[in-house]
Amino acid sequence: MKVLHQSQFFTSYQCDKQRCFFIEFPHKTVKLGFCQLLAFRQQVREIDLEAHFNGQNTHGMEMLMLCNRQHFFVLNTLESIDLKEFVTGTFAMLELNSLLTASV
Amino acid sequence: MKDLVRQKLSIHVDVMDLLNKQIEKEAHSSSAYLAMASWCDHNALSYSADFFYEQASEEREHMMKIFRYINDNGGTAFSPEVGGVNHDFKSLEEIFETALDQEIAITKSIHNLVGKCRKVNDYTTEYFLHWFIQEQMEEEQTMRRALELFDLMGTDVLGLKLLDERIPQIREKRPE
Repeated sequence: MKVLHQSQFFTSYQCDKQRCFFIEFPHKTVKLGFCQLLAFRQQVREIDLEAHFNGQNTHGMEMLMLCNRQHFFVLNTLESIDLKEFVTGTFAMLELNSLLTASV
Repeated sequence: MKDLVRQKLSIHVDVMDLLNKQIEKEAHSSSAYLAMASWCDHNALSYSADFFYEQASEEREHMMKIFRYINDNGGTAFSPEVGGVNHDFKSLEEIFETALDQEIAITKSIHNLVGKCRKVNDYTTEYFLHWFIQEQMEEEQTMRRALELFDLMGTDVLGLKLLDERIPQIREKRPE
């Protein structure tokens, strides 16, 4: 298993043998297929961070359900900010890997 | 490390995002045409109403084409939400002007997509979009032809009725 990207609270891995991805959350590690990774990415993209600061999201929490609702996470503002950066970083690494593989 | 993304997805992820945005735009376009059709129906402009019902259906087909393309190539297509559809129009001329502006906006969006495909070397999607480039050219021509009718026939009551009867002809191709 190879580390794709690591942020303050999360780490992503790619497993070539099982052709899947793993994301390490603070209390749990989740296995995702590529479609599930894309669905995860979309959920994170839809998190509105501005709402955490302009009074719309007064409790400062975000809820995520992954892998056909198998996993449920509640994240605070700091974790949400970190999660957005983490997902961007993970996909940047995947793209870099694609570029490197294509150039070989 | 294996390129799992390339194994699972034939198109670029950023292009997939733009395609999902395009799905939203086509869905909005379809709803906008439905609103125009409804207005025409209420104002006894039945040929124009039929035209816009057909346009609404076509836009949905465009949306479905993109939707299936994303899923067929390993991506995830998202069903769009549609909001902010205008139902308030001053005149039939305003409707066709709005329709032309709408088509121009869609054309710009498609061109932007093609530009992105070239930037990230997603030739598959660029090829897929060629059909849309051709289609948008025809859509703009159709709306432009409708507006030309207003210039020729005027908008008094009789002129409007005669104009409405000629709307089905704006789709006909000129003989070469």
